[in-house]
Amino acid sequence: MSQILLSILTFGCLFSVLTLSLNLQYARGGMINFGIVAYFAAGAYAYAIFTQEPPKGLDQYLFGFGAPWWVGFLAAAVASMLFAIITGWPTLRLRGEYLALTTFAFAEMLHSVLLNERRIGNGSVGLSNIERPEIGWMGIPEGYVYAGAAIILMLGTALVFRRLLASPYGRAVDAVRDDETAAQAIGKDVARLRFQVFVISAVPIGLAGALYAMITTLVSPDLFTAEVTFFVWMALVLGGERTILGVVLGTLALVGFQEIVRAIPYESVRTAQLAKSVEVMLTGVIFILVLRWQPFEALGRRSKKA
Amino acid sequence: MKNKASLKVNLLKSTVLAGAMALAGTATQADVTVGVLVPLTGELGEFGKIVANGVELAVAEVNAAGGTKCGPIRTVIADTGGNPEVGIRAATKMIESDGAVAILGPTSGVMVALVDLAKRTKTVIMSPYAGTITLNDLGGDYVYRTVSSDLGDGAASGLWLTDRGYKRVAFLVQNEESTISPAQVARDTLEAAGIELTDYVIYNPGQPSYQAELISVLSHEPDAIYLAGGQESGVTVIKEATAGGFEGEWLFTADLAVPEIFDAAGAENLNGRAYVEFADSDSSLPEYQAFEALVQEKDGKAPGPFEANSFDMANLIALSLESADSCTGEGINDVIRGVAEGGEKVSTFADGKAAIAAGKDVDYEGASGPLTFDASGTVAGSYSIQEAKDGAWVNVKFYPASAFE
Repeated sequence: MSQILLSILTFGCLFSVLTLSLNLQYARGGMINFGIVAYFAAGAYAYAIFTQEPPKGLDQYLFGFGAPWWVGFLAAAVASMLFAIITGWPTLRLRGEYLALTTFAFAEMLHSVLLNERRIGNGSVGLSNIERPEIGWMGIPEGYVYAGAAIILMLGTALVFRRLLASPYGRAVDAVRDDETAAQAIGKDVARLRFQVFVISAVPIGLAGALYAMITTLVSPDLFTAEVTFFVWMALVLGGERTILGVVLGTLALVGFQEIVRAIPYESVRTAQLAKSVEVMLTGVIFILVLRWQPFEALGRRSKKA
Repeated sequence: MKNKASLKVNLLKSTVLAGAMALAGTATQADVTVGVLVPLTGELGEFGKIVANGVELAVAEVNAAGGTKCGPIRTVIADTGGNPEVGIRAATKMIESDGAVAILGPTSGVMVALVDLAKRTKTVIMSPYAGTITLNDLGGDYVYRTVSSDLGDGAASGLWLTDRGYKRVAFLVQNEESTISPAQVARDTLEAAGIELTDYVIYNPGQPSYQAELISVLSHEPDAIYLAGGQESGVTVIKEATAGGFEGEWLFTADLAVPEIFDAAGAENLNGRAYVEFADSDSSLPEYQAFEALVQEKDGKAPGPFEANSFDMANLIALSLESADSCTGEGINDVIRGVAEGGEKVSTFADGKAAIAAGKDVDYEGASGPLTFDASGTVAGSYSIQEAKDGAWVNVKFYPASAFE
């Protein structure tokens, strides 16, 4: 039981970081990003490449710097930010669904490059045995430390975003989303604001990517498919836009549901298969129910008023 | 409004409570838990079922023989869908919540992802079909497999393509490590034999069509196509190549060695001109024949690919538990190599249990072969080539391990 809670907390908080960033980009900045997974992957790969030992034996990757974990962590933030700059610069002039399509395309391109260019991260094999810091201190099991790290990262992200959006800067961002022409008329540099929000929100995604690599000890293109993007979008929709608590609750609920279904030990193939199909149907039903009554969004809003 | 909200909260609470109680109800008895972590869905779904079935067969035999000294074996099964992240989460849960001492059956990608976890949590992981060459480096301690490395598959394929006397061969290889590494070995064998390689195409799976890849391949009119692909992409490639007028022969790799392929790709497209290569047990061994008879009796059909390897894997774990000092993954890891070699030869759990009780050292000779682990925790392999005949795979050639020396 404690293991399930731990798993929900670790992965729930980790993915909450992504949902929070998406919330900032979409619900506040008005930018539809369908390529979230790319920034996540950039962070994870940067962490892996910086901390990995130099290639040997059957390895096909070119660079492994063998750096300590915190260097990898910094590299992850920088890589994700750089990727946001590279992809944001040419695309942010696009609006609505055009931006959605372009970001999706960029994410698919990155996936394709990671899959086919074996000199980056061994192609489809990926990089395994990712460096993770020795954290056996004070007798706390590693699982708890990683859950703690995910919680801290999530809280940090939530706090920073909250401060940012509660400031005059946040109101400027809101103004741009609500009416670009009006914002421009009072002297706000629309393109610049959008670009800034896009790049800032990529940083925590990169950090989450690094933490994810530490937890799974593996990066491979298989882990970074569009499924991650959709998962994050689902969590955002479940939790309700523009409420930080709602977003986090939505993600935790989605991860929690998956974990609880998987937590039931099946003792035969037949039941495991049956459970799999029931899981898919149940997810759909729960989704409809949540969207109808929006409990997480309501909770998030209520706490906001208080 | 407030009442409504508290009702919702109460509903939520009771759901969570009910869930927690359901979980608590399945708490462990005096038995030993083994996790079965296989893909039941996705590209390798068909194999996952066969492997889980092989393990269940062995576990039933073990429990019928009175169980291990750690108690009867209980299995918990989870579907990975071939996804490493799901694999890690499910494996962690099996180890931490269900108390699994060993995890059996992961596919290559999942297996590689689990290496670190296995060593950290001191839990044995074992696969009957993860041939990935990455494990040639990583395996050996807590990480074992009852199948040979993919490089052996490549050598067997190369040998067959040469033996068949083809002049021109095209390679179509799915962009996955488990298909690329054997293909490279097969290619080297062909080049050494002076056979012309008309195309060497690496394709990405999951496409609705592979016409683009096939245009060049078909225009060179090869005698045979070596197709190393998964079940989903493989079927599409076979259909499109046939529609495109390909009349030569096929050599498939293990992923397509399942009977379902005849329904999916059309038996008429395969009969008499398709062959499949896979790591196989020596069917002349008495241990294998006994196993085959057992499967016939229980399931009413012949064993599927890797079923014997799966059966052996579970037996090795059971025998290791029987002779280990403690009922833990560490205990298994300490003795498993000893159980697989040196000592009195046994081929069933019941015999092994009796021999261990008599204080003897045992050497498990399995249905899939003699099973001796090398430094990387891998066994030596033998291979079969089967031909498509009347909508079924039929043995045509067997390469024992000695064929590659």
